[in-house]
Amino acid sequence: MSKLIDLRMGLFLAALFIVTVLVPIASTLDEGSAVAIPSYLIPLMGKYLCYAILAVALDLCWGYAGILSLGHGAFFALGGYAIGMHLMREIGARGVYANPDLPDFMVFLGWDELPWFWYGFDWFPFAAVMALLVPGALAFVFGWFAFRSRVSGVYLSIITQALTFALLLAFFRNEMGFGGNNGLTDFRDVLGFSLSAPSTRIALFVLTALALAACLVIAKAITVSKAGKVLVAVRDAESRTRFMGYRVENYSVFVFTVSAMMAGLAGALYVPQVGIINPGEFAPANSIEIVVWVALGGRGTLVGAAIGALVVVAVESWLTANFPDLWLFALGALFIVVVLWMPNGILGLVEKLRFRRAKAPAKTEAPA
Amino acid sequence: MLLRPYLRLLALCLAMLTPLAASAQTLDELVARLPDGSYDDRAAVVAEIAATGDPRALAVLEALLEGELEQRNSDGRIVIVGGTRRAPTGTDALTGEELGELGRRATERIRVNNSLRRTIRTAMGVMTLRDPDPARRLAAAEAALRSPAVEQLDALDAAMQAEELDYIREAQTLAHAATILASDADTETKIEAVGVIAGAPALTVQSTLNAYRAAEDPALAEAVADAIDAAERRQALWGQAQNLWFGLSLGSVLLLAAIGLAITFGVMGVINLAHGELVMLGAYTTFVVQETIRTHAPEYFGWSLAIAVPLAFLFVGAVGVAIERGIVRHLYGRPLETLLATWGVSLILQQAVRSVFGPTNREVGTPDWMSGAFQLGEMTVTWPRVAIVVFSLTVFFGLLLTMRYSAMGLQMRAVTQNRAMAANLGIRTGRVDALTFGLGAGIAGLAGVALSQIDNVSPNLGQGYIIDSFLVVVFGGVGNLWGTLAAAMSLGVANKFLEPWAGAVLGKILILIFIILFIQKRPRGLFPQRGRAAEG
Amino acid sequence: MKKLLLTTALCAGVATGAVAQEDPIRVGILHSLSGTMAISETTLRDVMLMLIEQQNEEGGVLGRPLEAVVVDPASDWPRFAELARELIEGEGVAAVFGCWTSVSRKSVLPVFEELNSILFYPVQYEGQESQRNVFYTGAAPNQQAIPAVDYLLENGVERFYLAGTDYVYPRTTNQILEAYLMAQGVAAEDIIINYTPFGHSDWQTIVSEIRDFGSTGRPAAVVSTINGDANVPFYNELAAQGISAEDIPVIAFSVGEEELAGIDTGPLVGHLAAWNYFMSVDTDENLDFIDAWHAYIGDDSRVTNDPMEAHYIGFNMWVEAVEAAGTTDADAVIDAMIGVAVPNLTGGISSMGANHHITKPVLIGEIQDDGQFDVVWETPGLVLGDEWSDFVEDSAPLIADWRAPLSCGNFNTETGTCGGSEMAQ
Repeated sequence: MSKLIDLRMGLFLAALFIVTVLVPIASTLDEGSAVAIPSYLIPLMGKYLCYAILAVALDLCWGYAGILSLGHGAFFALGGYAIGMHLMREIGARGVYANPDLPDFMVFLGWDELPWFWYGFDWFPFAAVMALLVPGALAFVFGWFAFRSRVSGVYLSIITQALTFALLLAFFRNEMGFGGNNGLTDFRDVLGFSLSAPSTRIALFVLTALALAACLVIAKAITVSKAGKVLVAVRDAESRTRFMGYRVENYSVFVFTVSAMMAGLAGALYVPQVGIINPGEFAPANSIEIVVWVALGGRGTLVGAAIGALVVVAVESWLTANFPDLWLFALGALFIVVVLWMPNGILGLVEKLRFRRAKAPAKTEAPA
Repeated sequence: MLLRPYLRLLALCLAMLTPLAASAQTLDELVARLPDGSYDDRAAVVAEIAATGDPRALAVLEALLEGELEQRNSDGRIVIVGGTRRAPTGTDALTGEELGELGRRATERIRVNNSLRRTIRTAMGVMTLRDPDPARRLAAAEAALRSPAVEQLDALDAAMQAEELDYIREAQTLAHAATILASDADTETKIEAVGVIAGAPALTVQSTLNAYRAAEDPALAEAVADAIDAAERRQALWGQAQNLWFGLSLGSVLLLAAIGLAITFGVMGVINLAHGELVMLGAYTTFVVQETIRTHAPEYFGWSLAIAVPLAFLFVGAVGVAIERGIVRHLYGRPLETLLATWGVSLILQQAVRSVFGPTNREVGTPDWMSGAFQLGEMTVTWPRVAIVVFSLTVFFGLLLTMRYSAMGLQMRAVTQNRAMAANLGIRTGRVDALTFGLGAGIAGLAGVALSQIDNVSPNLGQGYIIDSFLVVVFGGVGNLWGTLAAAMSLGVANKFLEPWAGAVLGKILILIFIILFIQKRPRGLFPQRGRAAEG
Repeated sequence: MKKLLLTTALCAGVATGAVAQEDPIRVGILHSLSGTMAISETTLRDVMLMLIEQQNEEGGVLGRPLEAVVVDPASDWPRFAELARELIEGEGVAAVFGCWTSVSRKSVLPVFEELNSILFYPVQYEGQESQRNVFYTGAAPNQQAIPAVDYLLENGVERFYLAGTDYVYPRTTNQILEAYLMAQGVAAEDIIINYTPFGHSDWQTIVSEIRDFGSTGRPAAVVSTINGDANVPFYNELAAQGISAEDIPVIAFSVGEEELAGIDTGPLVGHLAAWNYFMSVDTDENLDFIDAWHAYIGDDSRVTNDPMEAHYIGFNMWVEAVEAAGTTDADAVIDAMIGVAVPNLTGGISSMGANHHITKPVLIGEIQDDGQFDVVWETPGLVLGDEWSDFVEDSAPLIADWRAPLSCGNFNTETGTCGGSEMAQ
């Protein structure tokens, strides 16, 4: 096993690969077949994978650099809005008002011309770059100020929460030009492919799976590099690292920015698959939920974070559809149980069982 | 439509003052006609009732205004309904005969709408200018000010002469002046009247004088314009005071919401995401207390909040102790995991309340002694807000004293500062932890009692305050109660001064940006903790 | 994860395969039971379950029993779309009754369009939409807002303070009202529009602004499109600052019996609301409905409100249309829906228009101290919902007509074309 791809990463990537190959095949089988996957499940699974990317992004900065961001949903939503704006422009004159120059909601509000910040989004590569650049730039500026001032711990968490809350309020405002509460929706196609076509869905799903794999590998590469070691040192003893001559803030800003860009990527892939982006994505509760995924999967394990996201979201989906009155009890209890009895998350538990079987002394990799 | 019948009626009412033999119909016949016809028909009947000059008319009209006048289904008798909604009792509107319990749905209310209500009020005003009851005299004078009618001038004059209470005479003088303006008096008298009105609260000046801005007489128009300008200047000046007051009262709400968190999060370091839900439980405790009082002892409703306060503190405090003993205690030293677990707790509490009380808003009433408003210069101060400001400061200082001077407070501080040392000195740290968390939770419960007075009592109540609470604690400096006070008040005041020109949303965004920038400048809040404890 | 997905797939397969035996008709209910919207939407879930139970007692539809499928979208808009898909594709429902907020409706629209199913949307909304797969049983702006200001104008009000929550419904309604009021000769400086965020809880400043606005000696009124949660603190503040309905009446479009249930209405007597239904309406249908509701929910103090009536009408229309079409097939039912007429609860007969909106009476009620509304004014007849407002410049030439041969949701009468070419298909 290489340093980059250890056993659990290898297993996860293999499983991901199998799913990525099998799902498209299974979805083309006819409905009677036992292993057929209804086509409506594909965007749903794509959505789960987006959340997994988001969880990996947060784990990178929380698990390895100790930066607990309670505002990662903001970066995710910004990436989503960038792509959403492009999808809005692709509707063109097919909107309900048939206005070739303005999205429907602007016609609706009686606007005459496109606001300047919408320029360029007609062109997909621009939107795609912005989906990474905007969250990245915000994280860079925010991190640069925060880490230089040595804001850390809960203070940092709370101001990231304030950041996403401020963005939530701002995007709710109709004057902002992002569609207010309704957000951006009614998308039709991307790069000329209809979003409701099964082939587009499969393509997006596969793309998301690839992006997840890429993010995992990139995150792992960062953590095993020298910079990664420094980051872990920052996490465990910031002052000592500083005294050893490292510019702590540079490392922190770097990893925070990368993490934000990954979140933006997740958002960009999320929007075409769910078909809507609205300010609700900025809600602080959503960002807290990301933390919950990571903690549940196992902080500081990357793969665990991805698994945590998939498990929680799938359980949530299943419960809301089948036990609409009870699902909050179940979810709440799940969190408490995990914290009390599985302090290192799912992966920690698996590891512990494995070690116990091997009669080796348990070794915890991720300190709390 | 609103004005026309109203003027028509006014003419009728005034006709009553001059002895006319028009009121051929007796009060009995007129009252019997009240339930029939449209609101306009009813307005006409009201006018005729007033015109009878019958001494019983006032009670009938008053009951009609209050919506207490009903018709009994069995015999068509018009009754004034009292008692409770579940067990209504009645008295005959005309004879005053006690009819005992009426039974539910045995009577049909005689309905009134806004324009009819105005009509009744004016009609009653004419009858009550010289009523023995001061409250009625005041209401009559105010009604006359709102709708000055020249025919009333003499009656007002007479009432003023006879009036013994200063505040009522003031109201009558204003009404008198307004009536002079509406009359065809000479310019000099009118300018004098403008002078009288100019001394009234700015809003009265504007609403009374605006109509005369374009008076034909240039001297009068000028006097009116001057009076209005002066009123506007006064109002602008007081506007700042008003903003300050609004800000302080918003700050008090923030303080109440945050102060429990200042204990659980600030002192103990538990990132308690269930804090909002604890506040919500406090609000529901108030609801339960009020429901119990309503069904068993409605006469004590005025005490409901006073009863709810200790109960909410104890109940929510107990919930807090249970959370601490059951969950949080296993997680000390792992603050981020408390975040996860308390998030779970908050989901469970929310859904539990939803299952027990239903998802809809529950009504929590305001006792009479706490409702209403008073005028301070040019600003209106409402009693519920005064009560909340006083309450939140009381809670704050109570907590401060407890922490500083009680043995319990000393132990709490000892345990948070150096757990091992405190344990060595014989302090039962586990017990202290539980009580500290319980104290924070209990205070959240107290906040719930107060918030039930101004906000929705619904399962979502807590969600609206959790972020603000954390911001206040962090902005003030974790672990510093004075910081929490300063943060809550300054954020409240800043918010209220921003709101008029930036709007509610933008104002809030600006505050958030300010906090983010402020934390960059002073990473440990307004009042940072010093010494070793700060390196946590 | 693979295993999990396969199990999910398997479950879905079983679900669709197991229908044959008793063959009930499945009806989807897509209302939030948790999160911020649960406060309003849970009641609608309950009323739908009641209606379905009643229908089953009467022998179901087409001789088949109805089966409700309830899911919880948890006030999360993407989840609305996800669960709509699950309901239609996974559970095979014949129609869905659901959504409350505009954004949830917008979120599920493409799903219904793509999978060609039917949605009944029961809430008053901003209009500017007509979709083939959606039936709008709530009020469009012309069925609520315009008659309401007409009533105020008739009562001599000269100044208007339009207060709303900042989202699409108040924005559109206020835009329409502003144009309408100006056309009625109200001066621009006598109209103030103010927006506040969702869940706004501190109303001190705005209420004092309203007080100042109403103290110029000329009659003023507030037209409120403030959304659900923010209303309780708003009305509490109105009461505290002593603004009475006789001085400055507030007419609200989003405040019904359910919202008032959380407020002490004593100080609010006389403030107004415009709806198409009030619980206090005295008709046999309504009294039966209320009795049935109280019996079903087991609580005499629960109120009924306008969106519940909308579901009542929508559900009965759907039953009629399915019976008429003889099948639950979406295309047949959609065609059969137009022209279906059923009694509403206010003593009239509501019918489905070609634009997928229904005819309703407009009632204006005053708040009473028992939390009910007393109807003080109503339109002489029923009013058909106007999907494309004539007071919004870009939508004035648009109409919707889903009958063949036009079959278009946004037909431009000036250019003679059907706007969004894909929507028209």
